[in-house]
Amino acid sequence: MVRETEPSNNEREFVSKAVAEGLRVDGRAHNSVRSIKIVLGPELGYAQVQLGKTRVMASVSCEIVRPSAGNPTDGVLHFNTEFSPMASPAFEFDRISEEEVMVSRMLEKALRRARAVDTEGLCIVAGEKVWAIRVDTRVLDHEGNLLDCACMAAMCALLHFRRPDVTVIGEDVTIHTAEEKNPIALSVHHIPVCVTFACFNDGEHQVVDPLLLEEQVMDGSMTFVVNIHRELCTLSKAGGTPVSPDQVMLCASIAAVKSAEITQLIRQAVAEDAKKRQTDKK
Amino acid sequence: MLEISLPPRAQARRAGTAADGDDDDDVDMGGAGDRQLVTPGETITTDPAFMRGHGTFTHEQALVASVAGVVERVNKLVSVRPLKSRYNGEIGDVVVGRITELGPKRWKVDIKGRQDAVLLLSSINLPGGVQRRKSESDELQMRSFFAEGDLVSAEVQSFFQDGGASLQTRNIKYGKLRNGSLVMVHSAQIKRSKSHFIVLSCGVDVVLGVNGYVWVSKHVPITPEMESDPEGLYSNQNEPMTESERETIARVCNVIAALGRQNCEIHESAIVYAYDASLDYAVKELLKVPVQEAIVSQASALLRQAATQ
Repeated sequence: MVRETEPSNNEREFVSKAVAEGLRVDGRAHNSVRSIKIVLGPELGYAQVQLGKTRVMASVSCEIVRPSAGNPTDGVLHFNTEFSPMASPAFEFDRISEEEVMVSRMLEKALRRARAVDTEGLCIVAGEKVWAIRVDTRVLDHEGNLLDCACMAAMCALLHFRRPDVTVIGEDVTIHTAEEKNPIALSVHHIPVCVTFACFNDGEHQVVDPLLLEEQVMDGSMTFVVNIHRELCTLSKAGGTPVSPDQVMLCASIAAVKSAEITQLIRQAVAEDAKKRQTDKK
Repeated sequence: MLEISLPPRAQARRAGTAADGDDDDDVDMGGAGDRQLVTPGETITTDPAFMRGHGTFTHEQALVASVAGVVERVNKLVSVRPLKSRYNGEIGDVVVGRITELGPKRWKVDIKGRQDAVLLLSSINLPGGVQRRKSESDELQMRSFFAEGDLVSAEVQSFFQDGGASLQTRNIKYGKLRNGSLVMVHSAQIKRSKSHFIVLSCGVDVVLGVNGYVWVSKHVPITPEMESDPEGLYSNQNEPMTESERETIARVCNVIAALGRQNCEIHESAIVYAYDASLDYAVKELLKVPVQEAIVSQASALLRQAATQ
């Protein structure tokens, strides 16, 4: 019911002109990402990522289900995104906005299609019992670039999560509690990182990690999903102003660099948390 | 674990009421100036005789607050007035709004309320005199009056069934805003008063919109000829301005923003005192929080002094 206030004509002109001159409203360079803060735990599989003022949390849980007939040896990976009204007055309770659909689909493409998590390792008894992993992402604060933040949060949560250890002897399946046996980490092949670009001035300029104000004023956007091995998993450009092929290539290389930096941050955060858990146990 | 407890004064009051052995357990409708502040989820009363008003709901035979605010009671009706909420208009309010879209014979105006307000074509002054009849061509050239993105000052004329406000600019003092800059503060900081059109001695006009939008502009004296001037009423041209005039406008804007940030009430005397206090600093420095705190504390000291005299 309550709509977001649109930026005024002056603000629009200011943002566009500033980008043309190489400046951004918050003082960043065209290619700099906001400061990232990652908080993991205390529960296993819970991560909260702050990208500037944008805040997204992700939570991973698992249960045992019957696999689908088409893939009897594959586990199930389910993604759920929630845009709660506490994030922004533009989000209404029970009403799915277009942005929510976009972010939710991109997250699926980035994490499921890119095969970040090994689903075959989630099989317990072929055709009967497999692990179903559920990733719930919830947006807490919206200050621009929800997709990148949500992807980071989901990946951190997946890396942080531990599923219970299972012993299969013939047809007998025993699920061990955390006290009996240490829970096992999910097998993650690679860490795909989303890097979003906002296009201004009819596609002439691209900036990385747009703010909310920049998103409201931009002419179009592009998202690259790259991992640390410089493999492009997904490229999304849904509408918006046309961009020349040179610029796409340039953005791809920038995205690769940013992805490497972000992957380092994620790995560091996960490693530090693991070390803390070790020392806490002793 | 978080623990939420009442502030000491309220606790003492509660203890006092319990000791009296009243029938109303928690409702303390004491003397003037004794306001009861509640937070969401706090029980207001368990007495079934009270009816619930805005900001309350019943939960297990008790009346519970759903917003943070002050408890108000009118006979048997208990309601909670929220401390901070979206702008709720009243008839006669002076508001500053931004045109968001054009509709059939009306404009939609954003006034930072729950809904956009409506400015009907029949509620504006058409150039060429008040008595001019509306024609088809007026409707076709609505954008020549107000276009999307324009700022207007208007008065709340009435409300629609669904709660949306209807605005009017039938007075020469209302209409399109020019020659200045907008400052956005929270609507709770601007109380309704006699005059919302302030003229400061430094040559700056301030329009205090009750909805929280404040327009600071160069002083342009209003003459009766302007009403009939077809070009002037809805022109999009700003007056020529000198560097110092711009700086004064910027200074007043920053002063109002500082008052807004420090949760101060914004009215003429507050702005005047704060402006005088700000003259010690450069305009840019007024954006720093410590400087803002200094100016506002100086201004509030002067206000308190003036109030006690």
